[in-house]
Amino acid sequence: MFNEGTIYANITPIVKSPIIGYRISGEDVLFILKKLTNKNFKNNHSLLKLVDLYNYDGTILDKCSVVYFKSPKSFTGEDVCEIFIHGSPLIASQLEKTLKSYKIPGFRIAKNGEFSYRSVLNNKNSLKQAKAVNSIISNESFSLLEYNKRLLFEGDKVSGLAPLREEIINIFSEITASIDFVDDEDFNFKNIMKKIRFFFNYCNNLLHKNRTKIEQKSICKIMLIGAVNVGKSTLFNKIIDKDRAIVTEIKGTTRDFLSNLVIIDGKKFELFDTAGQRSKQGKIEKYGYKRAQSLSREIDHFLILSDKNTKSVDLKQLFYDFSVKNNYSLIKTKSDLYNYNTKDIKINHHLDRDNVLKKIKLSSIHKKYVNNKKIELNFDINEIEFLEDILKYEQDITKEKDILIIAQLIRNILDDFSYEFGYINNEDIYDRVFSNFCIGK
Amino acid sequence: MFHVEHYDVVVIGAGHAGIEAANISEKYGLKTALITKNYSDLGKLSCNPSIGGVGKTHIASEVDILGGVICKIGDKSAIHYRVLNLSKGPAVWGVRAQIDRDLYSQNMKKFIKSSKIDLIEDEATNILEKNNKIIGVELSNIGKIKSKAVILTTGTFLNGKIYFGNESQEAGRIGNSSSKALAKFINKNFKTMRLKTGTPPRIYAQSINYDVLEPQISENNGIFLSYFTKQNTNKKINCFITKTNNKTHKIIRDNLDKSAMYSGIIKSQGVRYCPSIEDKITKFGDRNGHNIFLEPEGLNSDLVYPNGISNSLDKKIQLKFLRSIKGLEKCEVDQFGYAVEYDSVDPRELKNNFETKKIENFFLAGQINGTTGYEEAAGQGVYAAIHAAIKIKKIKFNTKVFERDNSYIGVLVDDLTKLGVTEPYRMFTSRAENRLKLRTDNSYERFSTIITPKAFNKAEYSLISKNIVNEKKILDQLKKLKYSPNNLMKKNIKVKKDGKVRNGFEVLKFLYPSPNNFYQFFNIKISQKLLTKIYFDSKYDVFYEREKKSFDQLSKNKNMKLTNIDFNKIPSLSKEILEKLNKHKPENLYDAGKISGITPSALFQIVKHKKDKGKKVA
Ligand SMILES: Cc1cc2nc3c(=O)[nH]c(=O)nc-3n(C[C@H](O)[C@H](O)[C@H](O)COP(=O)(O)OP(=O)(O)OC[C@H]3O[C@@H](n4cnc5c(N)ncnc54)[C@H](O)[C@@H]3O)c2cc1C
Ligand SMILES: Nc1nc2c(ncn2[C@@H]2O[C@H](COP(=O)(O)OP(=O)(O)OP(=O)(O)O)[C@@H](O)[C@H]2O)c(=O)[nH]1
Ligand SMILES: [Mg+2]
Repeated sequence: MFNEGTIYANITPIVKSPIIGYRISGEDVLFILKKLTNKNFKNNHSLLKLVDLYNYDGTILDKCSVVYFKSPKSFTGEDVCEIFIHGSPLIASQLEKTLKSYKIPGFRIAKNGEFSYRSVLNNKNSLKQAKAVNSIISNESFSLLEYNKRLLFEGDKVSGLAPLREEIINIFSEITASIDFVDDEDFNFKNIMKKIRFFFNYCNNLLHKNRTKIEQKSICKIMLIGAVNVGKSTLFNKIIDKDRAIVTEIKGTTRDFLSNLVIIDGKKFELFDTAGQRSKQGKIEKYGYKRAQSLSREIDHFLILSDKNTKSVDLKQLFYDFSVKNNYSLIKTKSDLYNYNTKDIKINHHLDRDNVLKKIKLSSIHKKYVNNKKIELNFDINEIEFLEDILKYEQDITKEKDILIIAQLIRNILDDFSYEFGYINNEDIYDRVFSNFCIGK
Repeated sequence: MFHVEHYDVVVIGAGHAGIEAANISEKYGLKTALITKNYSDLGKLSCNPSIGGVGKTHIASEVDILGGVICKIGDKSAIHYRVLNLSKGPAVWGVRAQIDRDLYSQNMKKFIKSSKIDLIEDEATNILEKNNKIIGVELSNIGKIKSKAVILTTGTFLNGKIYFGNESQEAGRIGNSSSKALAKFINKNFKTMRLKTGTPPRIYAQSINYDVLEPQISENNGIFLSYFTKQNTNKKINCFITKTNNKTHKIIRDNLDKSAMYSGIIKSQGVRYCPSIEDKITKFGDRNGHNIFLEPEGLNSDLVYPNGISNSLDKKIQLKFLRSIKGLEKCEVDQFGYAVEYDSVDPRELKNNFETKKIENFFLAGQINGTTGYEEAAGQGVYAAIHAAIKIKKIKFNTKVFERDNSYIGVLVDDLTKLGVTEPYRMFTSRAENRLKLRTDNSYERFSTIITPKAFNKAEYSLISKNIVNEKKILDQLKKLKYSPNNLMKKNIKVKKDGKVRNGFEVLKFLYPSPNNFYQFFNIKISQKLLTKIYFDSKYDVFYEREKKSFDQLSKNKNMKLTNIDFNKIPSLSKEILEKLNKHKPENLYDAGKISGITPSALFQIVKHKKDKGKKVA
């Protein structure tokens, strides 16, 4: 569990792009930088430097930006550097080869989540905060993102679990007092049980309220369908603003569906490009078309592309194949080549992106499927699961008549909270007991 | 010049810790001296005339089964019994006995005289050591005596100082001079701290108007302090309950400047769970009244101990507020309440066996270690003596019985030596993680591996042995009986229809636990006492398992030693966490985890640092 050694990993995908980033964390970072750049970074904490990188054989690898963070003032709490090379997978592989050539004992590629894990080990983040970092990256909704950011920057107290922790400590304190200081105040078993039931009811309410809140949809899923060669991939690339899908004049270029997340005007979309429709499909193509079809149930909205060559029977077939109801927009492509006189949206690949986006009206499509009301969350999915775990005690505790067994089970709940929020020990309980009750003679 | 006798163990102080220590040490065959300033003080109950209660009884019952005397002599001198928490299951039953002070002292003296302990009336003035190892003790009159080990149990006497309002005098408790010479030695060699406790006034019984007060009658449950007590034939007395009122509160509130604790004269730390009446009124002034239990000090005593109004007010104010209370309108006071301030040793100066880290064979026990209470003192006396015997005489003793999951003495020792104290430490059942298992009715079972004829007289030893054999026989019989769910349904017992065949012991928890019922169901005769015990064993069985599991979880890494770690070298520990670690100096990871506010991630961090360090050295 407690693995050591300096670790590295790419922090952007290794694809052709303007930039590819790497992060290295551990005690060998300065050594590595020295080897790699011939420079000493010791006094360059958090400064972005433009430097030459050298290959293991001494030739120049790249000219790029490097930033160094001195322990403990880094994400992981260890020495960290981040290297931003030109976005060529080839350069990336050269860099990795060079790093490996130093033969540093224990130096290895980081496991999934290991940087975050180390940040917890090094007390840079609480467990809760590390989870928040992960969620920020993988977040599905903006509300959740906001919540995780607050958790990270303001601390555990913003969590909806915090008042529950207070309450369970209070309950446990009262039980403790009622056992150890019986003759000091009037303690009433029924009252205690009432508080316990109230606590669980409250948990249940929170659970139901917040589960629906969290699961509230935020992504609008849009699929591009249409005959082969009609220009689906062209439009797809335009919308996501990247050359992701291959575009050729060959019919049946796209063989399997592609998907890509894109945020437009603060709204999230997942876009799907698909294999085109035609009567004679190749084996793989057919399979790809089928796969796209099987996905159609999840799709909110279809962009149905056609041009002058599209036959109306084929168009009908499309509606049938993808079970399209009234969740579609009709788009005529290649308007530079053909004249259309329909109300359909007309586009061509010479239009700039903004213009295309305006025509397709993605924003109003999003509104139709996704509730965009911003909600204030104070739970995330981990915490919902935590609530569910706590509620597993409900039956056992509320049915029990022996206060000692109840005390034991509530102590288990306290232990669960201890794990999330830090240790709750006897002294914390006694503090509560002696300030809430007049104990002793 | 040394005194002729050479002792194995010299015990200084004949309070509750000292007596138990001397007794155990003698029983394990060590040549033992017990030194006390005043013969008349032997076995004195310095505060309230009662023994037991929740948590306290728990320790006392362990002392009892280890061969101690507090319970036996307590029962002999008891004049009123109550069992607290009777509705809550035996794990937290707390029998409490009102004790006749004089009877207790007399019985104790008789007992010590009948033993082989050498009782010496003198003041210890110095501890003699050579190369950090004990060689003896110096006494004020007799001079030096040689001993292999010393157990120091001087209670509140080290630099003791008592306060009534603005008056103060040097004393270990009222009527006893404090021990200044010895205090010098202790303060020079050990880290000490100043603690505080208090006691209420004593009132003349004849001056109380009992007619208007509610009596509390002694209960007769057949539950005694000691495992060995069969009956108590002493006459029983009643206690009485009265209450403070708004007038009382006003008198106290108006005169807080005449309280030693509130005027700022006393600065040391008092006890949260033994608050003075000044404290109660300042913190919980909104209450209409605070209960006072009037406890007669003995059958022939004309004094009454008013439990609940310990204070350090000026004597005149004490009388004034007392006379504002129902039933006490015309009361006369024999001895006013006072606060006492004293030096106690930081118990983290002790090793796990209660030997000081600094001086070999020097043991400390009782209130000097920062605790409060007779039972807590007694438990430590026994513990220190057993470890002295292990050290000096190499007696065979399975010290596992003193782990915190097996005994309250273990919990106490662990808490004291690992966490230290900030206020006088008293036992609560909630301090024990394993509360369901640490019961007064099964201490003989928890300590079964070390029960020895040495610690008991013949009758006592044969009683335990007989009971253990009898219990085993009944359990064996029970476990041979088998019941299917259908079988049980027919007998009107509802269980899950899980097809599981249960044995008699597993079925027991579904029965109403009366001997009659038990006999009808199993056709086995049993006493109520044993039935109650095994009924709860049956009921708590699953929880023992669970407790054990969570204990194991904690235990996994618990032994990772942290003694030679410099926490300051761990760069990313937060300031608060560093402070806590440096303050408590946990010996291992498990102890670190018990410190308030230490997060799991801090523990990870420590582990990581430790492993890194190991790697570099290697
Ligand atoms: C005023 C007062 C109020 C208290 N209030 C409470 C309370 O409210 N609740 C509670 O639980 N407990 C209370 N206690 C505590 C309880 O009385 C003690 O915890 C318990 O008696 C401690 O036992 P011990 O054996 O450690 O010390 P003690 O019983 O105090 O015995 C110490 C013995 O050492 C002897 N001694 C001291 N110095 C020397 C020396 N130099 N040479 C030889 N002999 C020496 C003394 O004569 C005495 O016999 C109070 C104690 C006092 C004094
Ligand atoms: N003139 C013109 N050509 C276009 C336009 N849009 C796409 N094309 C061309 O049409 C051809 C097919 O385009 P794609 O985007 O690959 O079509 P597709 O629908 O993805 O085709 P398949 O993947 O084979 O189903 C390419 O040669 C594009 O350059 C347009 O608006 N105007
Ligand atoms: Mg395509």
